[in-house]
Amino acid sequence: MWKKWLVCWEVLGVKIRNRWDELKKKEEMALIAFIMAAVPDEDLCLECIRALEQGGCDLLELGVPFTDPLADGEVIERFHHRGVRRGLNLKRGLDFAARVRDACQLPLILFSYYNPILQMGLDKFAGDCRSAGVEAVIVPDLPLDELGRLAGQGLELIPMLAPSSTLSRVQMAAELDPAFIYCVSVRGVTGLRSLPEMEIKDYLQKVRRVSTAPLALGFGISQPEQVRAFREQADGVVIGSALAQIIEEYESRPALLPGILEKRCQALKLLS
Amino acid sequence: MYPDERGYFGRYGGRFVPETLIPALMETEQAYRELAGDEKFRQELQLYLKDYAGRESPLYFASRLSENAGKARIFLKREDLNHTGSHKINNTLGQALLARKMGKKRLIAETGAGQHGVATATAAAVFGLECTVYMGSKDMERQRLNVFRMQMLGAEVRGVKKGSETLKDATNEAFRDFIRSFEYSHMVIGSVVGPHPYPMMVRDFQAVIGRELRRQFQEQEGGLPDCIIACVGGGSNAMGIFYPFLEDPVKLLGVEAGGCGTAPGQHCATLSRGNDGVLHGAFSRLLQDEYGQVMDTHSISAGLDYPGVGPEHASLRERGRVDYVQVSDREALDAFMQLCRMEGIIPALESAHAVAYALKIAAALEEEKSLVINLSGRGDKDVEEVARLLGGVGSEN
Repeated sequence: MWKKWLVCWEVLGVKIRNRWDELKKKEEMALIAFIMAAVPDEDLCLECIRALEQGGCDLLELGVPFTDPLADGEVIERFHHRGVRRGLNLKRGLDFAARVRDACQLPLILFSYYNPILQMGLDKFAGDCRSAGVEAVIVPDLPLDELGRLAGQGLELIPMLAPSSTLSRVQMAAELDPAFIYCVSVRGVTGLRSLPEMEIKDYLQKVRRVSTAPLALGFGISQPEQVRAFREQADGVVIGSALAQIIEEYESRPALLPGILEKRCQALKLLS
Repeated sequence: MYPDERGYFGRYGGRFVPETLIPALMETEQAYRELAGDEKFRQELQLYLKDYAGRESPLYFASRLSENAGKARIFLKREDLNHTGSHKINNTLGQALLARKMGKKRLIAETGAGQHGVATATAAAVFGLECTVYMGSKDMERQRLNVFRMQMLGAEVRGVKKGSETLKDATNEAFRDFIRSFEYSHMVIGSVVGPHPYPMMVRDFQAVIGRELRRQFQEQEGGLPDCIIACVGGGSNAMGIFYPFLEDPVKLLGVEAGGCGTAPGQHCATLSRGNDGVLHGAFSRLLQDEYGQVMDTHSISAGLDYPGVGPEHASLRERGRVDYVQVSDREALDAFMQLCRMEGIIPALESAHAVAYALKIAAALEEEKSLVINLSGRGDKDVEEVARLLGGVGSEN
C-alpha cells in the first residue's frame, strides 16, 4: 500500500536527467528521435523504434496524432492526419507508449497538443503517463505563460524556446529547472531546411548564459553535418521530419525500413 | 474591462500557440495598444472607413418583411453595403494600417466564404502590401467568385487540401505561414478568434457597427432597440454589433448554424453543442470528440462552417449576457429567399441565419418589439450555390 503510494508520487523525468548526465560524462551529444505513435501501424512503428535504439538514439519523443497540428510542418503534419484517420488519439497514444516502454530502454517523452490533454483531464493524464512509462511531456501549443496549467502533478515538462525568444522568456524557461530545454532552431514549424548557423549559435549561447539545463536543438535538423556544426553549443539534437521522410519513402518495403533508420541514426550519432 | 492583461475574458481566451510565435503576438499587441490611443491613427482609419469603405452603413427599416413577419419592427444594419460586400472590411483596414505601422510588407489571411479574404486582399491593394490568402479547397469550389476577386486584387490564393478542406484547415495553414514569416508578415485574422490580442483587436475594429447603430437608432426611433440579432461563426459581426450594448437592457441573440441535423459533423453550433477546448490559439468552446480531436462541421454557409468560436462569446454565454440559438440550413435558405422577394436584398447565407431567427421571433411576438438584424454581408457570392440547392434560379422554394 505505502509502496504503491510512493510509486504513484514518484517525480517523473529521473531517467531522462540521468541519461543527460551519462552523456555529459561521455562527452556525447544526445540524439533525440521524434516518431509518431502507431504510424504507419503499431507493429512497424515499434520496429522502427527498436531500430532507432539500436542505431544509438538516446531519447525518444513519441508524437500523439492531433487533428490540428499547427506547430508542425508538412511532413509531420501528414503523419498527424494519417494517425487521426486511423482513429489514433491521446488514450491510444498512451497505450502505445506502454508497449514502447516494454519493447525498449529509451526514456520516453510524450509530444501532445494541449486540447487532447485538456479533454482527458490533468489528473488522469498524469496518472496514465506514469503507468505508461512516460518520463516527460512536450506540449507545443502551451507557451511558457501557460505551462502552469500542467503544474502540480509531478509531470516533467519540457519548455520550448525559439530564436525570437526575448531574454525574459529564456529566464522563464530556466526558472522551471527542466530536464532539458527544447530549443527550436528556426523561425518556423517543423521541417527540413538549412539553418543560418551563426544566428543559431548566438541564440544557443544566449540560452546557455541563463540556464544550466541541457539544450536540445530541434526543427530543421536533417543532416549529420548539421549535428556536428552545433556540437559546441548544443547538448543534443532532435531529429523528426528527416526520420518521417525515411519512413514515408520505405514503408512500402517494411523489411528494409528498420535497417535504414538504424544506419541513419548511427551516422548522426557518429558525428555528435 | 475585458480582456485582462493576459488576454482572458473570464476564463476564456489566452494564448495557446508555439513559443516561437509569442514575440510576434507581443509586438502586435504593443503596436495595437499604441495605435488605439493615437488620435492620428483613429482619424486615418475613420477616413478610410468613410471615403473608401463607404461607412456609415445605413440602418434600414424593412417594412414589408416586418409586416409579413408578425408584430416586430425589423431593422437591417446594412453591412452588406460596405465596399467588398461585408463587415470584414472594417477589420482588415484597421489591421492593414497596423501592419504598415509595424513595418510589415505582407498580409496573410485565412478565409472560409472568401469575404475576409477579399477584404484582406482589398486592404493589401490599397496600402500597397503583398497578400497571401489560405482557403480550403472545398470552400474554393463553393465560393469560386471570391477566389477570382482575390486574384484580381493581386492576392495569391493558396488552396488547402488537408483535413476537412475548410476554414479550420486554412487557418492552420495561415498560422504556419505566420510562424515562418512574422518578421515581415502580419496575420490578419478575420474573426474574434485566435490568440490574444486578436479577439480584442478584431472586436474593437468591428465595434464601429454597434456604435453607429446606437446613434442611428436613437435618431430614427428614439431609445434603444429591444433586441439585436447576429449570426455567429467565429463571431466577429456579432461581437461588433453587440459590444457597445453589453451594459444596456437590450436582448442580444447570436445565431449559430444548425446545419442539417444534430449529429456530430452535421452542424457547427459550437456554443449550443460544444464544450471547453483549445483551437487556433484560444481557450474557448469547441466541437470535438471525447478525445479532444476537433470535429468536422457542416453548414450551408462556408463562413459559419467552423468548429470553434471567439472566446469572448464563450464568456458572454457563460455569463448569460447573450443567448445563442441555432437555425438550420433549410430555415436559412427560406429566409434568404424571403429577404430577396420581400425587400429586394440578396443576403449572404451567413446573414440569412440571423434573418431566419428574427422571423421566428417576430412570428411569436405578442406585442410590438424592435429587432435589429446585423445584415453582415451580401449574397452575390452565394447565388450560384443557392441556385444549385434550389434546383435552378427560376424555381420557387
